[in-house]
Amino acid sequence: MTVHPGAWALAVLLGGSATALPAQSRFFARPMAQAIVSATSMDPTPYGGRLTEVRVVQPVLMGQAGLANGRLLGTLTLNLESLTIPDGELTLGAWGEGYVDRRHPHTTVHELLLEAPDLFGTRERGGRIGLVAGKGFVPFGTDDPMSRPFLRYPVNHHLSQILERAVLITQLERGPVLLEGALFNGDEPERASQWPLLRLPDGTARFGDSRALRLTVRPVSDLELQASIAAVKSPEHRLAAGGNVDKWSTSARWHDQPEWGERYLLAEWARTDELDGYFRFETILVEGALRRERWSASYRIESTDRPEEDRLQDPFRSLRPHHENSILGTGCWTLHTVRITHDLADPAGPLSVIPFAEVTMGSVRKTGGGIFDPTALYGRTSLNQVSIGVQMGWGMRHHRMGRYGTSHSRPEHSHVAH
Amino acid sequence: MPPMLRVAPLLLLLSACSTPVQAPIAPAIVAVVSGNNQTGPVNSALAASLTIRVVDDFGEPVVGRRVRWNPVLGGGTVSPGENVTDANGRASAVFTLGANPGANSARATVDNANPEIIFSATATGVVVNPTPQLVASIAIPATYGHHDTFVRDGIAFVCAWNAGVYIYDVGNGIRNGQPHDPRLIANYVTQANGVSGGAQVHNAWWFHNPTNGQKKYLFIGQEGPGTVGSASSGDIHIVDVSNLAAPVEVGYINVGGAGTHNFWMDEARQILYAAYYNGGVVAIDVSGTLSGNMSSRIVAQVKPGGTPGTYVWGVMLAGGRLYASDMISGLWVLDPVTLATLGGGNNVPTQYVSDLWVAGTTAYTGGWGTRAGTRGNSIRIWDVTTATPVQLGEMAIPDATTVSDVAVVPGGAALVATAEGGAGAGLYVYSLANPRAPVLRGSVAVTGGLHTGEVAVINGRTYVFVAKNPGSGNTPEFRVYDITGALTP
Repeated sequence: MTVHPGAWALAVLLGGSATALPAQSRFFARPMAQAIVSATSMDPTPYGGRLTEVRVVQPVLMGQAGLANGRLLGTLTLNLESLTIPDGELTLGAWGEGYVDRRHPHTTVHELLLEAPDLFGTRERGGRIGLVAGKGFVPFGTDDPMSRPFLRYPVNHHLSQILERAVLITQLERGPVLLEGALFNGDEPERASQWPLLRLPDGTARFGDSRALRLTVRPVSDLELQASIAAVKSPEHRLAAGGNVDKWSTSARWHDQPEWGERYLLAEWARTDELDGYFRFETILVEGALRRERWSASYRIESTDRPEEDRLQDPFRSLRPHHENSILGTGCWTLHTVRITHDLADPAGPLSVIPFAEVTMGSVRKTGGGIFDPTALYGRTSLNQVSIGVQMGWGMRHHRMGRYGTSHSRPEHSHVAH
Repeated sequence: MPPMLRVAPLLLLLSACSTPVQAPIAPAIVAVVSGNNQTGPVNSALAASLTIRVVDDFGEPVVGRRVRWNPVLGGGTVSPGENVTDANGRASAVFTLGANPGANSARATVDNANPEIIFSATATGVVVNPTPQLVASIAIPATYGHHDTFVRDGIAFVCAWNAGVYIYDVGNGIRNGQPHDPRLIANYVTQANGVSGGAQVHNAWWFHNPTNGQKKYLFIGQEGPGTVGSASSGDIHIVDVSNLAAPVEVGYINVGGAGTHNFWMDEARQILYAAYYNGGVVAIDVSGTLSGNMSSRIVAQVKPGGTPGTYVWGVMLAGGRLYASDMISGLWVLDPVTLATLGGGNNVPTQYVSDLWVAGTTAYTGGWGTRAGTRGNSIRIWDVTTATPVQLGEMAIPDATTVSDVAVVPGGAALVATAEGGAGAGLYVYSLANPRAPVLRGSVAVTGGLHTGEVAVINGRTYVFVAKNPGSGNTPEFRVYDITGALTP
């Protein structure tokens, strides 16, 4: 059976009823839509006390499609946060793309990828070569937090993932070992509507100025070990005039789905060196989740270094691009997050209505020198954030954002993830 | 009657005489054609020329009759001072009014003609536009843009981070440049010296050595990575600019564990003072030939706020004292020879201090960033009559976060400040009719803000050479503003 690609695309865009077919079919499509309505209260905020906001976050239209029995895959993720949270989402410790203490809105075209997970059809012979091209995550570090159990992004988002880049990935899989190499553009986006810069005004290629390598090993079926490195050219200065960044990451991830529910555990360490190591930021994060039928509980602890920069008039924003290579100091954020959810719909069905409550508590302290003073900024060093809301979704569950092609074709239908 | 017939008897008489005689000039009549009773600004030419017409008794135009033009009242000028009537019997002149508002007049006198003509005019006060006028704008490569400018002898050294230093003729003449038409002489990128981030050309000082008349060395500050308040990096690079078109780096100065920021010089003593952030203030002997590693030329160093507690932004020599603005500990007064602290310090606990300027017994400092919730969007005014600065007042620049540069114009008529961060970012000019109570005269908002402003007087006009910040969709630029209008009382 075949479905006209145009009909599939229309169905995905409308969040409608595209025909979902098994991967073994010549063509399949898996649409998905999601939005989270959340009331979040953070205390304290920079130079202020408690602040409470109600927002629609992570409004996403997503689709995956396959042709030729899964030999050619496509992934499209449209993120509408530029409409719902143009000023970002209150998030303890968050930083990146000029936002501080708020997570930045993601680019509207968040993922747009063509994937050939088995380019030469050699899977049956024990190995395969994959190729992925488009816009999305670089094969570095761990999965994007959007496809993990929590609403709240961890502080280490920009240490542990490289997102929203034009990327070309080659993959070599042999048994339980997967090696991925990627070329991409170094610049992170400055605004939600911006595309990756492929070429500088003087004609120099921006695409390909940055590289990543990730090794994934699955010694047993539910355990995944990962180590990766990346060299990113001037991520915070679009025109490539900023400092370069070297990144390392390693992690262990367990995920299985026994009959009674689901288990998930992730432990990761990552490090980012800026300007040849003049600045060094590290993170350790452990998170886990248990689901039993419709209930799930999750816990995360992280200890993450954050570069502290001067704020603009809006205390939730910092200057992009930088004018110089200085920071105010480094904050070490230690945060504990607990989340409880209950799926009101059938977990096996396409619809999900999941009320949740999520609490983050922790502290920030200054490490090293500099004028950064958390007490002066927040009034105290202990911080907390509470969110309640409903996550609503339709269609397939999140794919593992950051895992494409050869990785991607190992579908996981996680329910503890969003 | 045709004119020739009218003069025929006279010609006949002349031809009969053996001795040539001056022909008598026939009487004529003068009348005003246009230009009377005009009004215009002082020191300006009237819009319409003064025009008269000379005719004879028969109303015919008198050609070639000499007319003399003179100012009578108001002290203006009339040009030309003398001319002759044309084929229509007309003659014209331009009347430029005097310097003071009020009545002006000019006279036209025609040989053997009546009457004497008096043109009246009224001079009004000039309508001064105090808003800084943008006269030049040059895009700078987006390598973090343009940070600081040094202007001397009509040459502007534009410090453009990893794009190096751009040398422009802005009135010197060697490239026929003007402030409104800067002409590039050279571009030069200094060495990285192993400092992360590259050349990072931040500021400069062109040393005019009075002891030997040389204008050989350009000192360039490299602003490497740093952690504000505790760490910094970057060297002073010494560039031979004997030939401005072909600069050559010849040496450098390194202070271990610290990086340089703004400069000042005691050129007579051949001492370069450098703010060195956490390294404090450093005095360097730059006499003689400079080559290679000149770090041994450091003759004095002080960390006025202690260790930690020192992060010096700028220095300035004035009135026999050296002043230093420490972001953390405030305004200091130092001995220019020993760098011993004479007074001041720990006097701005609520704000990070940025740049400074001293004029006579008054000093001005800017603010930076946010300290314990207090923005750096203000200028503090200090009495520096003694070696202990006393704060006299503070002026806020609304909707900004940082006052990134302050400078007093030559002659002391105005204070210029640049501001960053927020809608209030831009260029501000304050009257210093009372130096201790500046009054805003003019300002211009600049999206993205201005990082620095260097004042120079060229061809009698006062300009500010500014560094316009980069930003998303915002090109960094080297800009020139004419602020002469803002200096007129």
